[in-house]
Amino acid sequence: MNETDLAGPILFCVALGATLLLAGKVQFGYIYGMSGIGCLGIYALLNLMSSSGVSYGCVASVLGYCLLPMVILSGSAVFFSLQGMIGTVLALVIIVWCSLSASKIFISALDMEGQQLLVAYPCALLYGLFALLTVF
Amino acid sequence: MAAVDDLQFEEFGDVATSLAANPDATTINIEGPGETPKRLGPPRGSGREEDDELLGNDDSDKTELLAGQKKSSPFWTFEYYQTFFDVDTYQVFDRIKGSLLPIPGKNFVRLYIRSNPDLYGPFWICATLVFAIAISGNLSNFLIHLGEKTYHYVPEFRKVSIAATIIYAYAWLVPFALWGFLLWRNSKVMNIVSYSFLEIVCVYGYSLFIYIPTAILWIIPQKAVRWILVMMALGISGSVLAMTFWPAVREDNRRVALATIVTIVLLHTLLSVGCLAYFFDAPELDHLPTTAVVPNQTVVAAKSS
Repeated sequence: MNETDLAGPILFCVALGATLLLAGKVQFGYIYGMSGIGCLGIYALLNLMSSSGVSYGCVASVLGYCLLPMVILSGSAVFFSLQGMIGTVLALVIIVWCSLSASKIFISALDMEGQQLLVAYPCALLYGLFALLTVF
Repeated sequence: MAAVDDLQFEEFGDVATSLAANPDATTINIEGPGETPKRLGPPRGSGREEDDELLGNDDSDKTELLAGQKKSSPFWTFEYYQTFFDVDTYQVFDRIKGSLLPIPGKNFVRLYIRSNPDLYGPFWICATLVFAIAISGNLSNFLIHLGEKTYHYVPEFRKVSIAATIIYAYAWLVPFALWGFLLWRNSKVMNIVSYSFLEIVCVYGYSLFIYIPTAILWIIPQKAVRWILVMMALGISGSVLAMTFWPAVREDNRRVALATIVTIVLLHTLLSVGCLAYFFDAPELDHLPTTAVVPNQTVVAAKSS
């Protein structure tokens, strides 16, 4: 996983901002800021937890690609308001989906068996922040 | 690197082949049958070095590895802190479970931490607790003042930073003070049990876990319920702390030992009661008449119009 492909992640961030724009929220700054700082946090954590290091580009790439379900969530926010029971449940499902897939890629790339949930929890917090941005 | 190639314990599937390749490996299995399943798990730095020593592998590789292990990295690199994140999911869950079930006579540090203190648990438990307290505090205030026309709800983000400061200060400064105090007493009285700074941080971090569900349940706006929750949480985490630190001060002067344990529990009480008082508005009784009055007024207004 030495290839850092940032084209996809940047596209997904812009897509998230665009779908939020369709729902009436202009929050590009928050998205970029949270992505950058969140990637930094996960980068620090993964370097501490894995025996082989990881580069920042790799972390940004994986987190960006796993942001795609969040784009689906914000796309659905255009059609119905997420501030109800359905919206909450959907947001929780999407958060779990994003964080499990991101942690799965991380542990398989960095050979960290038995630590998937430990990596998934901080990713879930990060994607939870994105979901808060989408829902409220 | 030849050293990496020799470490065939890394792969799950390759254990059989590595055992076949290294007939010396059977001596390890005989010496520590219970340890081998653990070793088969995720490869960890210290375990690898011990295994190499017992295997009697290439001497140059072994010395190279041991030399590499002894060389401590400067504290501003990641490698210095990597040993403190050397835990698996089941280990973290075990430690959390141990903090929830204080068994008299069982020492949390001895039983669960066992010279492998981690910073992952304390850090993320404190972070979760900060968010839980801030979110539940805001939610409970919102629910208590629901229906009041004069109250305009504003989410107080200030509370997140205050909660973060309080909890992280408690989780780091109190262990530091306690560690310094125990060190000082150890120089005067020979104690059998002594804890390192990180082990104390670990115990405090994991003992705060019980407050996460407590903070969520504090949303219920009943004073009696809240105080019962405080008592229960305090009982559990206080007893975990007391049972952990009692062996460390037992040999000391009776009064000093008791004073230490009482101070530990008192500080814990202060934290929980302080959080309850500051972040959660009291559900006062005079709120109820106003909520009863307001619907009447709206009904009267609707009838008259």
